[in-house]
Amino acid sequence: MAQSQSTATSAREVVEPSSDETEFVFFSGKGGVGKSTVNCATATWLADNDYETLLVTTDPAPNLSDIFGQSIGHEVTAIDGIENLSAIEIDPDVAAEEYRQETIEPMRELLGDEEIRTVEEQLNSPCVDEIAAFDNFVDFMDSPEYDVVVFDTAPTGHTIRLMELPSDWNAELEKGGSTCIGPAASMGERKQDYERAIDALQDGERTSFAFVGKPEDSSIDEIERSAGDLGDLGIESQLLILNGYHPESVCEDPFFEGKRADEQAVIERAREEFDADATATYPLQPGEIAGLDLLADVAGVLYDGDEATVDIGAATDADADGTVDFDGTADTDAVVEQLTPGEETQYLFFTGKGGVGKSTVAATAATKLAEAGHETLVVTTDPAAHLEDIFGEPVSHEPTSVGQANLDAARIDQEKALAEYREQVLDHVTEMYENKEDTQIDVDAAIANVEEELESPCAEEMAALEKFVSYFDEDGYDVVVFDTAPTGHTLRLLELPSDWKGFMDLGSLTKGAAPAKGDQYDEVIETMKDPEQSTFAFVMYPEYTPMMEAYRAAADLRDQVGIETSLVVANYLLPEEYGDNAFFADRRAQQAQYLTEIRDRFDAPLMLAPLRRDEPIGLDELTAFGDEVTGLADVADADAPEVTPS
Amino acid sequence: MTELTLYEEAMCCSTGVCGPDPDEELVEVSAALDQLEDAFDDLQVNRANMQHNIDQFLETQRIYDRVQEDGPSILPITVVDDQIIAEGEYLSYDELTAAIGEGATPQEA
Repeated sequence: MAQSQSTATSAREVVEPSSDETEFVFFSGKGGVGKSTVNCATATWLADNDYETLLVTTDPAPNLSDIFGQSIGHEVTAIDGIENLSAIEIDPDVAAEEYRQETIEPMRELLGDEEIRTVEEQLNSPCVDEIAAFDNFVDFMDSPEYDVVVFDTAPTGHTIRLMELPSDWNAELEKGGSTCIGPAASMGERKQDYERAIDALQDGERTSFAFVGKPEDSSIDEIERSAGDLGDLGIESQLLILNGYHPESVCEDPFFEGKRADEQAVIERAREEFDADATATYPLQPGEIAGLDLLADVAGVLYDGDEATVDIGAATDADADGTVDFDGTADTDAVVEQLTPGEETQYLFFTGKGGVGKSTVAATAATKLAEAGHETLVVTTDPAAHLEDIFGEPVSHEPTSVGQANLDAARIDQEKALAEYREQVLDHVTEMYENKEDTQIDVDAAIANVEEELESPCAEEMAALEKFVSYFDEDGYDVVVFDTAPTGHTLRLLELPSDWKGFMDLGSLTKGAAPAKGDQYDEVIETMKDPEQSTFAFVMYPEYTPMMEAYRAAADLRDQVGIETSLVVANYLLPEEYGDNAFFADRRAQQAQYLTEIRDRFDAPLMLAPLRRDEPIGLDELTAFGDEVTGLADVADADAPEVTPS
Repeated sequence: MTELTLYEEAMCCSTGVCGPDPDEELVEVSAALDQLEDAFDDLQVNRANMQHNIDQFLETQRIYDRVQEDGPSILPITVVDDQIIAEGEYLSYDELTAAIGEGATPQEA
């Protein structure tokens, strides 16, 4: 292989193929941390070094097309201008549809059109989506025509679920019979594929697992948690890339000097604490990273030991006068109206790409609403959420106070949710037999049977949904604020009640289902669709990718569930008073341009939130931040309950 | 050797617990079939559902004909040693035991 004369880095040793077998490189991390940029840069670099390279993204909100400036989509596509490089964006909806059609095709011989339609709806199950996406993933784990396959995986929580699936499903297949992934007999071949995939994932020589994060404590904490989970699956993390630190040359004032110092401390901490073979960093650029030159710069820094070029003034052609007029742009009154509860319980949903500050915005809104005297519950459904870091108080599965009067917080603990769900189902089965005293069935065996079936990955999906739906029944709250998982996953969660409702109406899967369950889902769907009761807020920062991801997700929500977006939050706006140089002028101009575009694209009131030196932590800081951004500052002080010191 | 085959509608998993509530009938029949297998030494139980085992529907002429004639509402169909013993409903443990016990002289449904 052609080697460049630059210094080889330790990151290079991790990523570069070392044998004749196809090797795999996984990049994981939250959305919005530059993961796709690092992927594209890595894949391009490998291709430039004469390795036949395939880049695969399983992110439900992919942006490879944006980065390479060409349409890619659900087919393997050769990348223009780069020899040896192909890419594919696995579209989970298309994958599921393909899977459905493959399953249905042989039935056409037997069933009429109408009957086929019924089966099609039955196959519109969340389990099928999961299976289809995973099958696709496993297919690319077997790609001998490539020297290396680079996987740009979905945000962390979801990725780990995918990694767990082969073992879960293997356990299912051992049992035989018909399982959620198909009949054991025809699954034999698939089982081998799954096993090969697991073997490859666990083989540190063939598979390199890398995390991409931001130089922030919360980012490192999350990566450490995820790396621990992967470790439990026998997968070692080998590389950590910290992306987007402020370059020294542009941090001339105390605000950005301080930010830079904090970032450097985090990078130092990560190098010392995080157990990986290599770490690497790449600075923040004035513009967005697109185009082959910038990708080459990223790869040069990561793998060839080059100095980063911070090309001020070249990365954006936006006009330079980009100062945001906060007072003139934010729709404060309309925002307050969206956040404030009416007669009935108000449900506020904050969603958006990972890393856009959803949890902070949700916690801030909840804190202000509680201060205003509304009984408030804030719930996170994100498996990787750090709500307790934000409040500085423990946040558990059950709603508990976080030190502020009227304010409780909770997080969905997946394991506990699953345990509760199992108990609920098993109770149901036990009850069933209590009413049938004359049964000849061995009740214990029947229960054991169901218990085994509950090991299925679909049960997890159901458990999360059940827990989510249960928050609509929590008594005693005027407002329930949902801090939801990154976009793709949330969309699925919100679509589930509709999907399952459709399922139940069909009846065949759930003949014995209590009608109450269907009614409960109906109610939740109606509540979410009613703008009087529910507010859907998309959080983003004014850049192309987070904006487009929110925009596409908002369209999906409208088209698939009938939910309208009623609030948009633009976060991390550069403050006017700091960063008085060309670098920040470029960035400001870019933000102003996207802010205008956000206004044009979303027909909803806009809430503006500035970049802060530190994310607000604890109730005092959340209150102060809330005063600044939510418009809820002017609540009559006399009504405001006292803040209990935490 | 007695063979018992259950032809069922398209479904995700045989106990029905993939849905929000377990399907009582499916829980019951799953348990009954397990128990039958334990109770009879020379009994082989197969379950074929249209989603996962469509080939069995296409390759078994009489099942193919029944479904094409009456549509999937004719399912589930219970077959013991090539004789259809029930259509459109799941049999209880007792009924299944009786059908198997009669061995080569099954009653027509």
